[in-house]
Amino acid sequence: MSTTAILDQDLGGGPSAPPADAPRPARRDSVRAWPLPDQIAYWLCWAAGIAMCLIALGTVLFMLLKGISYLKLSLLVTSPKASGFNQATSGGFLDPIEGTLLLTAIGTVVAAPIGIAVASWLTEYGRPSWLARAVDSAVEMVAGAPSVVLALFGLLVFSRPALAFLSQTSAGGSVFARSFINAGLIMSLIALPLIVGSTREALSQVPRHVREASYALGKTKATTIWRVLLPASRPGIASGITLGMGRIIGDTAIVVFLLGSTLRIEPASGAPVLSLLRGTGSTLTSYVYENSPAGEGDAPQKAYVAAFVLLMLVLAINALAMRLGRGKGEAVRWTR
Amino acid sequence: MSGQAAAPAPQRGGAGSDRRAELVLGAVSVCLLAFIGLMTVTVFVEGWPSFAHNGYYKWFLPGGDVDTQLRKILDGPTSPAHYYYHLRAWPLLWGTLLTTFFAVVFALIFAIFASIFIAELAPRSVRRVLEPVVRLLASVPSVVYGLIGILALAPLIEKAFISQERKHSVQYVVQITGENLTLGIIILMVMILPIMVSLIMSALSTVPRSWIEGSEALGANRWRTIRRVSLHAVRPAIVAATVLATARALGEAIMLSLVAGSRAFPVNPLDGFTALFEPVQPLAATIVENVEGLSTVPFGHTLYAMAAVLLVSCALLSFAGWAVKQPLKRYGIGV
Amino acid sequence: MRRTRNAAIALAAVLTLAAPASAIAAKALLIDGSTSIFPLMTQLASAYHKSTHKPEPKVSQGTSDAGVNDVDHGRVDIGDVSRNPIFGTDPKGLVWTKIARDGVCMITNDKNPIQNLSQEEVKAIFTGEVREWSEVPGAGITGSIDLVDRISSSGTQDAFQNIFLGLTTKISQSAEAEKSNGLVQNKVRNDEDAIGFVSFHFTQGVHAIGYQGVACTLQNAKSGQYQGVRNFWMVTKGAPKGESAQFIDWITDAKNATAYKIISSSWIPLYPAP
Repeated sequence: MSTTAILDQDLGGGPSAPPADAPRPARRDSVRAWPLPDQIAYWLCWAAGIAMCLIALGTVLFMLLKGISYLKLSLLVTSPKASGFNQATSGGFLDPIEGTLLLTAIGTVVAAPIGIAVASWLTEYGRPSWLARAVDSAVEMVAGAPSVVLALFGLLVFSRPALAFLSQTSAGGSVFARSFINAGLIMSLIALPLIVGSTREALSQVPRHVREASYALGKTKATTIWRVLLPASRPGIASGITLGMGRIIGDTAIVVFLLGSTLRIEPASGAPVLSLLRGTGSTLTSYVYENSPAGEGDAPQKAYVAAFVLLMLVLAINALAMRLGRGKGEAVRWTR
Repeated sequence: MSGQAAAPAPQRGGAGSDRRAELVLGAVSVCLLAFIGLMTVTVFVEGWPSFAHNGYYKWFLPGGDVDTQLRKILDGPTSPAHYYYHLRAWPLLWGTLLTTFFAVVFALIFAIFASIFIAELAPRSVRRVLEPVVRLLASVPSVVYGLIGILALAPLIEKAFISQERKHSVQYVVQITGENLTLGIIILMVMILPIMVSLIMSALSTVPRSWIEGSEALGANRWRTIRRVSLHAVRPAIVAATVLATARALGEAIMLSLVAGSRAFPVNPLDGFTALFEPVQPLAATIVENVEGLSTVPFGHTLYAMAAVLLVSCALLSFAGWAVKQPLKRYGIGV
Repeated sequence: MRRTRNAAIALAAVLTLAAPASAIAAKALLIDGSTSIFPLMTQLASAYHKSTHKPEPKVSQGTSDAGVNDVDHGRVDIGDVSRNPIFGTDPKGLVWTKIARDGVCMITNDKNPIQNLSQEEVKAIFTGEVREWSEVPGAGITGSIDLVDRISSSGTQDAFQNIFLGLTTKISQSAEAEKSNGLVQNKVRNDEDAIGFVSFHFTQGVHAIGYQGVACTLQNAKSGQYQGVRNFWMVTKGAPKGESAQFIDWITDAKNATAYKIISSSWIPLYPAP
């Protein structure tokens, strides 16, 4: 008997055996042949997927439509200008866009290595186990801390004179405590749990025999992690990093407290790059917050356009990150 | 190939480099732990006076209107000997519990179906579209969700569900409007959905192909296979996703302060259907609404006390997640 | 390797792109504080820079209380505060200079255009004595009153309570507390039964109620007829000196036409037109 014939045999009372008087002979694995609960579940899955698309589309379109009267390309390349409540003359949001990019870069660059290192330690070493559990709990505690709490803590820490080099000092001699680098450091804290979680999941999905094969070839554990496991987990790690970046881009409280919310990027005086890191500015999120009804700026249409631009920016950054993290193309499937 | 014997202790570079790597990675982890520990200790030390002056356990009990109590703390006497701390924070805790619990439960159900769809059932082209969509949803700022809530959804809820009779039925206790518990739960669910979907989706895609083929060869249809094999295999990921999403829900402040009603009211289940539309103010939203009063000393202590409660609940949550994962270790499914 | 290099190049490009060519040498003033004063202060700073060519003061925003705190700790040179000083709570040693006034209007939904309310009526509504629109003369609808309040640390709320309700009466506890003017405006716009109070500028799309027979408009407030106004202050540690003094003097100069023009666009200047 051929293989297909064997497989086509009715094994008696199988859940996918079609009734004899079915209107149309359904294929063996067609959904129509399934029992009703399974069919309902199948269509529920489809509904869930479509609902997610609709939610995303609705969010983006809502912002676009609300702000459409002010949507101009020039907004992307003009700096904001002080003009009170007059939306028409208050310029664009070039500086907030730059602020968002800069802050995301700082936060990710700090969080990614630390997150991957911690996740590797937790999955591969993790001795003593009470320490591993403590680190695990600590990371998840940060995940649940409201960003306001982290921002307040950041303000407390960075006001110390020892850390004055991270921000400007006013004429009075005290530390301003608000700058790009300070905000970036606290931002990395909120991205960290996502990166650690995703990396741990990805690393633990790699089968044990891969590690054993590597040891059998004479590699040390460290080399195995660096050259075999991490590259194999690259899609998962990239996914975690993009989730972390998403969290950073979307955070408002830390920006409002630790970035000073000046209209334009104001570098502190000094060396070209360092002065920027020590300077203040704003991001798209704080711009949206301040100008929406939730803030006092009263420029709602501009805020909605900025929100739309932010969402487009997110798509672009995600595409870039996935391209960088893709490695050889598809998720590695282990044969077994 | 080096042709060395497969000794348990790898040889290249010696055990030294392995040791060093472990120490370095361990040191990074311990530094992180120390930093987070420092933050927790600071928050606790700052919040301690509020607990102490309220008789420790009484801080968590119901007793009067929280908004009035907070206002009294803010306007209270300013000499250290006479600081006013009285607070009974149960309405805030109850609000946090309700919003977080229901949002996570609904999001979990939604997320499981959605990730099954994306990972297993969607055609290739659709999957390529949906993965960026999920990441997009994860990056939407909470302010945007909050704005959509108050601009679009709150008026809808008000027109559809909140009639004059309903308003009158609770008129002397609380005002009910479109911004309430239900709206908070809905939007919170949408917010934590992408996190869960992302984690569960990546886990589903790593279930060994042979398991799925074996199950289908035994005659199970697609859905049965997914339910009995794939979902069971990714239970640790589901637990991890739930823990992370719950932590995020606990910490969500700005969006909830916009849409959940900004009134610290203990939702009364005895009101029946109307209870769904009562305003609620979870802990994190309370902190963000009142952060402007931080420089008033007793008020600052109260806010830090609330932050301490949040941190402790996240620690407990993480511990619970670990405890749930322990029995799953038996199956050796990458825990 | 190449990927890391590409990533590093991308990062460097972002950093250099974001570094504006300007900003060297001279130290600018650091100002922080109320979000309500932010639109006014940024315009004043920009105009100051244009007319005197001194470095433009850097204006951040946090909250009124953050402004007071920052000035007290020496983190900034000047703080913007939109509420009156609270003796006893505010740190000692600060000097408060008034620079402008801002008006507070009561608002209702367009479907409910009440022309005027007296002080007794305002008190009755906002303390919760009266809970139905049918009991309010001049109301355009019936139904239960939805009170919209601000959160307790709001300067606008302090102003409203002190001026409209008197110093001892407080707004009813069942009122919904919103975080900003814009949220109050949004709420009243969407809810027919709502009534609230906002700063002048936020009265578009809603109906502004007259108080004690005087309509709530900028002209009436400037002329002094409309009574619901509050103060904007600039706070320094000790008397203003040096750069801070020059900036504050420039703003409060009665003969300064530029400053007058900016202030009178949406706020109430302290002195008549130069």
